[in-house]
This record gives sequence, structure tokens and C-alpha cells, in this order.
Amino acid sequence: MKDEHRIRNLALTVGGLGLLAVALLLVDQGTSTKLRQVAALFAIWGVATISLNLINGVTGILSLGHHGFMLLGGYTTALLILPNEGRARISASARSMMNDFTLGLSVENWARSLGLDALAEPEMLWVRFIVALVIGGLVAAVFGLLVVAPSLRLRGDYLAIVTFGFGEIIRLLASTDLLAPFTNGALGFSGVPSLMGRSVWWTFAILVITVFVMARLKFSSYGRALQAIREDEIAAQAMGINLAYHKALAFSLSAFFAGIAGGLYVSWLASARLDSFLFFLTFFFLVAVSVGGTGSVTGTLFGTALVVGVLQYGDPLEQSYPLGTWLAMGGVAVALGGIGTYLYRRSRHLRPSGMRVGAAVVLLGIAIATFGVLAPSYGLLDTPFRAFGLRRIGLAVLLVLIMVARPEGMFGRAEFSWAWLLRERRDQPTDTERAQDAWLSNPELREQLDDPEPAAHSLDEEGGR
Amino acid sequence: MSKLESKRLDLRIFAPWAVGLGVLAVVLVRIAYLVNVEGFSVAFFVGAFLQSAQLGSLYALIALGYTMVYGIIRLINFAHGEVFMIGAFIAYFLFTRTPYSLPWAVVTALLTGLGVMYVLNLWRGRLNDPVVLAGGAGSFGLLVWLMTTVQLGWIPALIFSMLITGVVGIGLDRIAYRPLRGAPRISLLITAIAMSFFLQNFGVLAFTRNVTPFRPATSWTQAMQFQVGDGTVFMSRVIFLVVILTVVLVMILTQFVSRTRLGKAMRASAQDAEVAQMMGINVNRVIATTFLLGSMLAAAAGVLWGLTYGTLSQPAVMGVLPGIKAFAAAVIGGIGSLPGAVVGGVLLGFMENFVTALIPGTTQYKDTFAFALLVLVLLVKPSGIIGEDLSEKV
Repeated sequence: MKDEHRIRNLALTVGGLGLLAVALLLVDQGTSTKLRQVAALFAIWGVATISLNLINGVTGILSLGHHGFMLLGGYTTALLILPNEGRARISASARSMMNDFTLGLSVENWARSLGLDALAEPEMLWVRFIVALVIGGLVAAVFGLLVVAPSLRLRGDYLAIVTFGFGEIIRLLASTDLLAPFTNGALGFSGVPSLMGRSVWWTFAILVITVFVMARLKFSSYGRALQAIREDEIAAQAMGINLAYHKALAFSLSAFFAGIAGGLYVSWLASARLDSFLFFLTFFFLVAVSVGGTGSVTGTLFGTALVVGVLQYGDPLEQSYPLGTWLAMGGVAVALGGIGTYLYRRSRHLRPSGMRVGAAVVLLGIAIATFGVLAPSYGLLDTPFRAFGLRRIGLAVLLVLIMVARPEGMFGRAEFSWAWLLRERRDQPTDTERAQDAWLSNPELREQLDDPEPAAHSLDEEGGR
Repeated sequence: MSKLESKRLDLRIFAPWAVGLGVLAVVLVRIAYLVNVEGFSVAFFVGAFLQSAQLGSLYALIALGYTMVYGIIRLINFAHGEVFMIGAFIAYFLFTRTPYSLPWAVVTALLTGLGVMYVLNLWRGRLNDPVVLAGGAGSFGLLVWLMTTVQLGWIPALIFSMLITGVVGIGLDRIAYRPLRGAPRISLLITAIAMSFFLQNFGVLAFTRNVTPFRPATSWTQAMQFQVGDGTVFMSRVIFLVVILTVVLVMILTQFVSRTRLGKAMRASAQDAEVAQMMGINVNRVIATTFLLGSMLAAAAGVLWGLTYGTLSQPAVMGVLPGIKAFAAAVIGGIGSLPGAVVGGVLLGFMENFVTALIPGTTQYKDTFAFALLVLVLLVKPSGIIGEDLSEKV
């Protein structure tokens, strides 16, 4: 980082946060409750996806057990912050599985036993909530350390399966007699205070803190060590990076923030249920990280916005439409797919570029769309059809398309920076250009070529593509 | 090699057998204790044994699909559980909704005809062979006629469902996995997860949102009982069907892989796909065949699952847990090896049913056994019971 710009960057960051505060004020004071809730959900899931990005993107370890960490953090927070009415309801219920000890675990009781009666007042709920959140995060972080030992022995996809197994084991155990006194089994808790989880100020404050921590970590020596582990684990070890220490750091930090996100999520839902923490949660986070950009905090936030937007505002997709309309939409999708594939293949200089096949596909799509639009007026295809789950299907298809076309995600590993916004380094060479220059200007490398001149000229012409 | 070396026990071969015999001894002692001291009847354990064999066979059929695909392209096909679900539902719609109206019959016959073509292609070797094309066209015409006139029984439904699901498996490979042939394995895994999610929700869209009963008209689902000692074992005749059909299918698959040219091509591609390509093997065709065979077995497992339990859960959840458990079985037995998948499947079936029988009060932990055993095996011996060593070398 150039020191001369630090103060300017700091001022810009503060200004940016101010703009965010103004936007949040508009959302908070606005009339749409749904927008407030969706914004809060975006912030909560943003914390979770950024913590997932730390393992998946920065350290390069595919982890599929994030829903387990959120479950741990969420249930811990819910248990510790559940108000007395909720506890009384549970103990009065015949089917509850909690005993007096577990029902007595609350920050309020601890505050009273420590003599801090002021903290047990209802107005200080927010302080107790923070305490409960942090404890939830710590519990999740401890379980995050459990994954470190397997991660030292196993490769990519096996480790992914082990993390998936951990997530599922946590979820399954939470309903058994082993953990039911803490989780109330399949019934869960209801009546968790939702004041914090549904407030845009709280959730975005925690999101800003998470982004700050993750960005500072990524551009520090620890972050560079984690990226070295991502690039080549064995080479990183050979350079003296302690794999166990750094992986433990990554997993526990990621699990900590996942636990905090879980606590906020439980507050957003106003209830703690096992069904809210199934694998689909990790899948959505995976879509957000992979589509946005693995390894990039900015990209992950964009991906989270996309996922939350599709899930919360995609209701029109799942209404009942006549079959003709569905056929028309399908035809349009096919036509767009044909155009998109042709453009993609042309941009990658793939041969054959698919001109004829693409044109045929586009025409077919247009034909189907026209048929779908015209058919209902002839009495065909007007039975209504409701497409359940189309949002999830759309997200799954999007993930497959990203994996085929651009596996590193929209942003790749690039991060937003004020220098980029102010177009500071445009006249400086990019990384690929510098690598090519190094190769071209290195006489030892050029001597090894059989025919140096033509190869060098063709590289010069291609430039920095 | 001196005589001293040959006298030492080879621990790698000795250890699994020692562990297995030890576990068997512990189980027998525990059964003896429960029968003599606590008053359990032997019939209870015989019943548990039969249930384990049934469940183990089902897991083995699904695990074979996982292990075959992993053997060749080193991909954990997360979507295989959903293929199992699709097979069950296609069979359901085949024996409940037939006779079809013409459009549906045409579509279904088209898919089944494609399946017949791919199966004939296994025999003839080329897709543009006259036998293959004639077989496909002929079966298409025959099936359109059949599906518009007759209500299918469960056996034709099983066969047609196997063919259609085979085509679905080939389509899955062609659309999602083939574009990523040279990609890093993490991308493939993420794509597999995405396809699994896609097929779950597509199943809800295409089939139904509800729990569906699976009760074809057959005498195999009759209950039966027999005496053992002073107790009665209550079971359904379908246990025999499941075990026998599994044995038959596994034997056919094993003979195919070991004796035919295409089977040899599959084994060669599993060993080294690049060199196999250099030797003139069309590896893409081999991979498609692998998906075809695995999906056919998964469809058979789906139909048998429906016959066993009488109902099919909602499409989004039906294939998830059995799929993961079958994958765990494949890993436990040794992923990449066919006998390993069978051993792992049977072992997991026994673990689920027998351990809950031996230790009362553990029924609620049934599902965690598979995951716990999977994690344990991956930590202690990643190559599984019968498997090659998969540790990474520098």
C-alpha cells in the first residue's frame, strides 16, 4: 500500500460508510417492510458467505459444512438470549426435551449471579445479545477446529465430503438425546427476540466489521500464507508455512463468523429450528461465493445480493401461468442461450464458434416462443401450470453455467479498491503483461528457443490479451 | 528374498481380516448375551439379519454407480442419489398412469427407445450400426403401441425405467460433466452439487410435491412369517426379490466389466484415461457407458426401494439420504473398486440395522452411523476396505 494515499483512502472509506448509513436510513425509515427484511437477510448471509469465502476462496479448501457451524452458533445464541416467557413455555410443554439446567442457561441468569443486575434489565437486551452472539461464535469456532485434523491428511474432494459429513452429523445429533436437552430436539425454540436480527443497522454493522476483518486478514501476512496454501500446499510447506496453524486459523475464524451469522439468522427468523439449517443453506452460500468470485470479498457480496434477490424477489417466477406462457418463456430462454453460447465461444476464440448451430438454436427458440405466445388464442396450451422451486432450479443452473464458463466467478480474486475506482494504475502493466515482459527481456530464456524471432514477434502482436 | 522375510505376516493383508473377525466375534458374543441373559429371541436377530441384507443390497446397487464413475473420471457424482430418485418415480408413473395419451407415450417411448439404442450400442460398438438403429426404431414403435393400449405391470415398468434413467444419466454426463473434462476437480464437485440440487427441485417440478404410495399389483410384497426356535420372524417376501435381483445385476455387471471388450475399455480408462485414449479407446464413449450402467442400477435400486418401503418420499428429499449413505458405503468399501462398493453397501446395511438391534436405544443415531463411519474411514484408511492407496505424492 502506498503510504501517501493512506489518509485519502481512509477518508474515502469513511465517506463510503457515510453513504451506506444514508442508504440504510432510507431503507429503515421507508415504507417497505419487505425491503428492510431482505436487506437485513442480505447482511446476515453476507457475513456467512464472507466467512465461507475465507476457506473456499482464500485458502482454497472446499468446505461444505457451513450450515453446521451456523446451527451451532444460532442455537447457542438462541438458548442464551431466549426470554423468560419462551423458557416458561418450553418447560410447561409436555413434549419438550430440555431440563432445568439447560433452561437455566441464559445471559440474564449469569448477569444476575455475577451481581450485574443492571445488565439483566430489559433495556440492556442488546448488550446481552452481543454477549450471546460472541459466545455462539466461540462455540462454533471450537467445532471449526475439529475439521483441521482431517484437512491436513485429505485432498480436495475428500475433505469436502468430510466437512459435509461434519455438517450433517452436527445437524443429525442436534435432534438426538445427546443434544436435545440443549436444542429442544425437533421442536426448537420460538420467540427469539428479533429486534436485532431484523434491524438493518445491527446486521449491517456486523457485516461492516466482518468485511473489515476479512479484508485486513486477506492483505496481511496471514492472508498471503493462506493464499499460498491455496496455490500449492506442498510448496507453501516447503517455504516454511505451518499448515496446521494456518488452517486452524482459517477454519476457526470462518466458523466464528459463521456462528455469529447463525445467531443473527436465528434472530431474523425469530425462532431456532433444525429445518432452517439444512444443506440448502450451504448450497446458497456456495452459489454466492462461486458466482460472485472465489477469493474476493467484493465478489462474494455481489453473489450474496444476487442469491438473496432471486430467492426473496423471485416469487413471480413461481406463480401459476398457462402452459403457453411457460413455453414462450422457455423459447426466449433457449434463444438467449444460443446467443450467449455463440458470444462466449467467440470471446474465447473457440473453434467451431457455433455460428450455424447457434443460429439454428436461436431460430428454434424464437419459433417456440412465438408458438407459445400464439397458442392460447387458438385454445391450445392454456392449462395453468405452477413451477415450484423454479428459483432454486435457476440458481443451480446459474452455478453450472458459471463453472463451465467462468469458474473463478464474476470478480475472480479481484477486490474493490479506491485506487481502481480512481483509475490510478491504468497506465501500469497488468500482471500478465509483466510476466510476458519478464520472459521477453530474459536473455537466458530466449536462448533456449529454436526460432526465437517469429515467436517473439507473435507474442508482441498479441499484446496483453 | 530370504526365508526370514517370507515368514513375517504382511500386516496390510492381515489387518482387515483380523478387524473383521474381531468385530464378528464381538457381535456373536453380544447376541449370545442378549438371547440368554436379557431374553431377546433369536427370531428378532434373524429378522434384523434379513433386513440388513435387504438394505445392504439396495445400498450396494447405488454405491456401484458412485464407484464406477469415480474410478474413471475421479468425480464424486453427487447427483447419483437424484438419479436413484428419478428411476423410482419414472417407474411409478409407468405402472400407475399407463395407458398414456399419445403425446406422453411418444415422449416416453422416445426416451426408452434411446435407452434401447444405447444398450444395443454396448453390444455392437457403434451408434450408426443397422442393428442399433433398427432396434431403436422398432422398440420406439412397439413402445408407443404398448404404452397407449396396456397398463404396464411393475416388471416392464422396471425395465423401461432402467432404460430411461440410463438415458438421463448419459444426458447428465453430456450436459454437466463433459464440458468440464479438463477442469480442476473442485469445479467438477461443485457442478455435481449443483446438478444434484437441480435434479431435486426438477423432480418436485416434474413429478409431484407429495409423498407417493408405491404399490404395484404384485405378490412379492406379501407379508410372510416363519418360525425360528420359539419366536416368529415377520417379514415381506420382497426381501428375497431385492437380494436375488441385486445378486443377478451385480453378476451381470461383473461379467460385463471383466469379459467384454467394452468392459476392458472401462478398466483401462479407469487405470489411465490418457493412455487408454492413445490406445484407441473412445474415452468419452466409455464414460457415457459408465453413466448408463450406473444409472440403470440406481433405477433398479429405486424400484426395489419403493417395493420395500411401499412409499416414495418427496422428490427433493428421497434421494438425498440414501445417496449420501451409498456414497459412504462406496468409500468405506474402497472407492474405485466394484467389489468394494458391494462390500461397503452390505456392511453399511448391517451397521444400520444390526447395531441398532444389538445396542438398544441407538435407533435415533441410525443416520449418523453412515457419516461417522465415512469420516472415520477417510481419516484412518482413505483407500477403504478394498482399495488402492490414494495418498498424494509430491
